[in-house]
Amino acid sequence: MAVRTWGVLGTGPLGRGIAELAAAKGFEVIIWGAAAADLDQARRIIDLALQQQIERWAITESEKRATLGRIRFTTDLAQLTGAQFVVDASSSSVKEIQERFRQLDELCDSDVIFSVATSTVSVTEIAAATQRPEKVIGCHFLPPVTSTRVVEVVRGLKTTDETVGDVIGMLCNMDRVGVEVFESPGYVTTRLIIPLINEACAVLMESVASAEDIDTAMRLGFGMARGPLETADRVGLDNILLHAERLWREYGDQKYRPSPLLKKMVRAGQLGVETGEGFFKYDAEGNRIKPQLGGSL
Amino acid sequence: MKILVLNCGSSSVKYQFLDMQDEKVLAKGKVERIGMDDAIFEYKGSAGQEIKEVTPILDHNVAVRKVLAALTDKEHGVISSPDEITAVGHRVVHGGEAFSGSVIIDHEVKRTLRALFDLAPLHNPPNLTGILAVEAALPGVPQCGTFDTAFHSTMPEVAYLYALPYAMYKRHKVRRYGFHGTSHRYVSERAMQLMGPRPNLKLITCHLGNGSSLAAVMDGKSVDTSMGFTPLEGMIMGTRSGDVDPGVFPYIMSREEISMAEISSMLNKHSGLLGISGISSDMRQIEEEMENGNPRAKLAFDMLEYRLRKYIGAYAAAMNGVDGIVFTGGIGENSPVLREKVLRNLSFLGITLDEVANLDRARGERRISGPDSKVEVWVIPTNEELVIARDTRDLVLQMQQGKDQREPDLVGTTAD
Repeated sequence: MAVRTWGVLGTGPLGRGIAELAAAKGFEVIIWGAAAADLDQARRIIDLALQQQIERWAITESEKRATLGRIRFTTDLAQLTGAQFVVDASSSSVKEIQERFRQLDELCDSDVIFSVATSTVSVTEIAAATQRPEKVIGCHFLPPVTSTRVVEVVRGLKTTDETVGDVIGMLCNMDRVGVEVFESPGYVTTRLIIPLINEACAVLMESVASAEDIDTAMRLGFGMARGPLETADRVGLDNILLHAERLWREYGDQKYRPSPLLKKMVRAGQLGVETGEGFFKYDAEGNRIKPQLGGSL
Repeated sequence: MKILVLNCGSSSVKYQFLDMQDEKVLAKGKVERIGMDDAIFEYKGSAGQEIKEVTPILDHNVAVRKVLAALTDKEHGVISSPDEITAVGHRVVHGGEAFSGSVIIDHEVKRTLRALFDLAPLHNPPNLTGILAVEAALPGVPQCGTFDTAFHSTMPEVAYLYALPYAMYKRHKVRRYGFHGTSHRYVSERAMQLMGPRPNLKLITCHLGNGSSLAAVMDGKSVDTSMGFTPLEGMIMGTRSGDVDPGVFPYIMSREEISMAEISSMLNKHSGLLGISGISSDMRQIEEEMENGNPRAKLAFDMLEYRLRKYIGAYAAAMNGVDGIVFTGGIGENSPVLREKVLRNLSFLGITLDEVANLDRARGERRISGPDSKVEVWVIPTNEELVIARDTRDLVLQMQQGKDQREPDLVGTTAD
């Protein structure tokens, strides 16, 4: 089925990012939130994000207007019957997500694909709540959603090849590369980046090198756009800690055990870009505040 | 013979329906916002009948059927049945090195068009979508493709190659292709007719619109043009920079901390008249603000005029002379101020101006150089649809006459 309209559940950073991306790529978007106030805030933040894109020369005023014009906001789940592709990007519990999909299952056409964007819920578990488990899939968008080109496309137990193909094809048309993964804690990206960040914390804690030098070594040594510590700051140290604890729990392997430094920083509320300080300092727009050159010379 | 001419974009279709008996436009219009629930359909018949509606048009198939329905509509239509459409001509942006003239579209041509997607990722895919939509709506009706690049296929190597490692040309076909070819071809052919037959006539055609390019046309053949591998090179345009030192890109990227996609957007959408003036990409507004004394508007105008003048000078040198200069396109046809400024600055070529003819907005084709001018200067409104319709007609006639199909179906890039 040709997808023209996306239904996005959730108004947090993930939901907003997905809504903005889909709208920018020409889809109509209906974004659902639990409360009108959440939706108002989402609208404001998306507006701001698009404004920043203009300032970075990425889009024009009229493209911003067109993108915003394609996004509708609603607190009424029934409005999502207009969508051909639904993605849950909320931070709700499994039970709540299941309940919403149970309702949508009755409201939406049978060929509408349902997907979950959060890596912490099981696609199979969500699929079990619907009459269309073959049409339920995971789409793990990595933050920042609007500029990261890879999406982990997650197969549940009953997800069909057709559904996987449809989603990967659609992502391809959005200039995104879908990587197919089977359901497994952390998939590929989370499972590999968490131990790296965790080990970087250990290196820092043992005073082997400064945060700046750890990141510089990894950036230049391995052609990374950002080092592991800045990456952690951008994802949010609280999120990193949650992922690490979950991987530790799921696999029981010591290599996922969160570094004491990470725990300490989260307890101190030093969460990264969001709070202005993590391993590094950031301004309100999320840009690194670089230490003054020459200071250490 | 009645021919439908289509220009299919990613979310739009512009169309003209012509009766080739007298080359009269029977109907024209456009479909916009294809894929949306509030798509816009516009239709204008030659008798003044009009349709304008906002309606869901999900894809190009629906858009094409909508056009056909309007053409055959009892009240507003101009024909009684789609059978009266002899052929359909398409504007296709990129013909690569494969097409040096218009062609009848068959399987092989479609395959080649697909292979060219990489060279024109924004334009060629919707062009092909339009072709497939017509195939579905009018099975068996011949279709013809006219390429924006075809007229420039006569450029010599010295003009079309970049001084990059030759391997870049061999491996990736990186070279100058040029665009607006159909327009340059139309106005240069008209100029040759208007100026009378002369051997080795040297023309410089200036297509100045939202996108702008110049062509050096010698003896009816394009020998150089200002757009290159993409339509970004050359003139200063509405929102495009035209020529820039490529060395500034890595510098800007590191200073502004932006990506390749963002710098590309900067060059294509935030530069040109808009970027310099900070006011508008529209020349009319720039001229208005210039009259109001806005210095940045004046700067943008002056820069555009200067770039235009340099290109005219360069092409006069490229051809070792120039007999005629032609202005066309939205700005070329409608900005006497720009024409006057650039021509006055080219007095070393022996150009004089007929001020009355230059200022006369009402008249179409006209000579605007003085009787004593050493170079004839003309304003010639372009008509790309007519060229596409004529090529389509010629190809269909050839096909009907049962010409040997093994020979390539090429319609000339020279005057009729």
